[in-house]
Amino acid sequence: MTAPAVELQHITKCFAKVVANKDVSLTVNNGEVVALLGENGAGKSTIMKILYGLYGLDEGKIFVRGEEVQIKTPADAMAKGIAMIQQHFSLVPTHTAAENIILGNVRGYIPIKNYEQKLKKIALEHGFDVPMDRPVGELAVGQQQKIEILKALYINTSILIMDEPTAVLTPQESESLMQFIKEFAAKGNSVVFITHKMKEVMEVADRIVVMRNGVVVAEKRRQETTEQELARLMIGQELTPAVRDASRDTTAGEGVLQFENVSLQPKKGTALLNDIDFTIHAGEIFGIAGVSGNGQDELCDIISGVRQPTSGRVLLAGKDISKESIRARNAFGIGYVPVDRYRDAMIKDMNLAENILLKGVFDKKWFNRGFIRHKKLNAYTNELIERHRVKANDYNDLAGSLSGGNQQKIVLGREVDIGSRLLVFNQPTRGLDMGAVDRIHHVIMEEKDNGKAVLLVSTELSEIFEMCDRIAVMHNGRFMGIYRNGELTTEQIGLLMAGIHFDGEEAAAL
Amino acid sequence: MKTRANVLLYNVIAVIVGLAISMALLAFMHVNPFEVCGKALSKIITDKYNLGEILVKATPLIFTSLAFAFTYKANLFNIGAQGQFLMGSIVAVAISLALQGKVPTFVLLLIVLVASFAAGGAVGGLIGAAKAKFKANEFLVSMMSTYVISNFMDYLLRTSLQETKAEYMQTDAIASSAYLPNILPGTRVHLGFVLAVVVAILVSVLLNHTQLGYQIRAVGRNPNAANLGGINAGLIYIISFAIAGGLAGLAGLTEINGVQHMLLREFNASIGSYGIGIAILANGNPIGCIFASLLFGFLNIMGTTMGRLPGMNIPASIIELIEGIVMICVIASYALRYFVDNRNKKKQMRKAGV
Repeated sequence: MTAPAVELQHITKCFAKVVANKDVSLTVNNGEVVALLGENGAGKSTIMKILYGLYGLDEGKIFVRGEEVQIKTPADAMAKGIAMIQQHFSLVPTHTAAENIILGNVRGYIPIKNYEQKLKKIALEHGFDVPMDRPVGELAVGQQQKIEILKALYINTSILIMDEPTAVLTPQESESLMQFIKEFAAKGNSVVFITHKMKEVMEVADRIVVMRNGVVVAEKRRQETTEQELARLMIGQELTPAVRDASRDTTAGEGVLQFENVSLQPKKGTALLNDIDFTIHAGEIFGIAGVSGNGQDELCDIISGVRQPTSGRVLLAGKDISKESIRARNAFGIGYVPVDRYRDAMIKDMNLAENILLKGVFDKKWFNRGFIRHKKLNAYTNELIERHRVKANDYNDLAGSLSGGNQQKIVLGREVDIGSRLLVFNQPTRGLDMGAVDRIHHVIMEEKDNGKAVLLVSTELSEIFEMCDRIAVMHNGRFMGIYRNGELTTEQIGLLMAGIHFDGEEAAAL
Repeated sequence: MKTRANVLLYNVIAVIVGLAISMALLAFMHVNPFEVCGKALSKIITDKYNLGEILVKATPLIFTSLAFAFTYKANLFNIGAQGQFLMGSIVAVAISLALQGKVPTFVLLLIVLVASFAAGGAVGGLIGAAKAKFKANEFLVSMMSTYVISNFMDYLLRTSLQETKAEYMQTDAIASSAYLPNILPGTRVHLGFVLAVVVAILVSVLLNHTQLGYQIRAVGRNPNAANLGGINAGLIYIISFAIAGGLAGLAGLTEINGVQHMLLREFNASIGSYGIGIAILANGNPIGCIFASLLFGFLNIMGTTMGRLPGMNIPASIIELIEGIVMICVIASYALRYFVDNRNKKKQMRKAGV
């Protein structure tokens, strides 16, 4: 019997604040696809980054093909035939595909045409059709990922690690990726596949390793397990999803937010938003599905007032707010949970009370002649911590000391209280653990039942289907259509997300 | 609370280490460091005048360090405290000369107080406006503004503000009726020191307990999040730079009406740059600025005293060396504290984990 491709023994890794991996042992055999399943923060990326030499390990041993090795840098790993494709691609956007692929593996004069020919051949062998001579920044994410894979193939990788490879892909693109993984493993190579999506795991993995809180909690062969069992192992507890009353006609309520032919056209280049027109009613959750980067962030910016539309109007309860300041909009009762809370919604080195004040800095109730009413603010913050079950000591904890899910609960709690009419959520559960996701979904449902209008932008179809009353699919700054939840199948939505209408006609290039 | 005590401990140790290194350097000059320091210290401690000088030297440093610390909280770098101070001085001396004898001392000082704050504030406000309107780099603009103002001052000293004798580039001395009152007989300590301490406390309150201070801190730490909170970052840039400039301008009042009583070339040429170092030493904490300034006041007097010790032949510039070494030690201590904290946390985690 040959030695396994990779064997990790008793790996422990601590960061300043957390134990990321505790006594993790893991084996990957030749020709095997191993899925590393777990919630965000379970330590799955960490253990693979250790194997790839991005992190050092505190304790434990690594064996590659039976031989103990020291992997200190990615170069060491690559020399052993290990490659890792990061969740966020490491490509130089202004370089061409060919230049990206050979980066770091060439010296001196580069006969780029020869390389392009050679790479094209490798690509075709694997059924990839990627233009080698165009800057990768111009290519779609699916194409970029193929370039990442080609980078790995170019250096004769036999152990390929992929971190959440389908997070940015349309369902169709994911499909072809799964196909590639199967073929690649069939040639005797090994693949480690980090994910938290059950469906992919069941489709492609030979063996499934479930991690939770930095430790391996279970190891199963695919044939021996079910999605339900894996979910339970991953989360460690049963969750009851928020229940949506599908029978009610949510468009009957009064219109709260209305977009009238809104466009956002930068001075140069294509329109970021093109003729967006919709109404969200009181007591309705309006979902926007789509691959990220198709105009969702710009749409939220226009509602919050960060950007002004170049044409069209935005109305809140019938009043034109297109020209109003951010401060005025906050006062009108718009709550907004932006996609990047670190950048836009919180201040890490301020305490929780001060973070609550961030959106109330012009609200008279927190001030007495210009002086902050600390007592009232702190009491409110403590109440909010309790109400949303935030894991924090009290108002005086620094926001940065909380976990991502708890930070998001604080932001959510603040915005829900401010947004008396309209709540805008841009991927509110991105990167959070299931417990926090569950809590956030319940809160959103409650607010809807309180009669607020809710806009929910999400790239997770399961979230869209679970939460929304109506769904708009966004592609290239355009709405591909607005549908009632239930009218669309996953396949249909996938096509719309890729800019293709059902009849197979591709959306007109903008 | 524990962390704050921790910071203080690190700072104190860093200062002691810095002084120890400096003393070792004295040994290279073939003098006995213990003897020199002992003599100098006893000279300072036994002489009330010398003790008072520590407070006199610390006063303008408190203002210029606050001028840097204030915008530091907004993540902006005001390198131009020197220029703002000089502008305050110009206005202080001009108004004192114009109004002395015509209005009561109290009224005169009040006018100079407001005017020197406004003068420094105007300079600061312009820097903030350049940043807000044209996205100018505040670091460069504030630094260059010092040269502009310093040359403007020279121009005035040669023309309208020049002394009646028209001999040197300096103004007439202001009348004693325009002096800041002395508060410790037998020394040069004047009311300006009390003013500096009060202002530092006010700055601390403003930053931590008011709506404006909150906005300044929020914009400094995360302009994007502040923007979504409806805060106008540009306006905050202008206001915070104007206040910072005003704080430096107040040093003009204390130096003209409290110490020098006239304006001359190369007037207190380095208090601006010391202010930056002191503010960093205090980690931008306004109350910390008081103590850090006192430390530097003390070091300054220590150096002067050493230079005057008979038969020792120590250059007075030794003190700049000592000040520099102390500053390096304190800044290094921040890095060390960060490193140690991190390692301790990691150790705890591992203990809890295994």
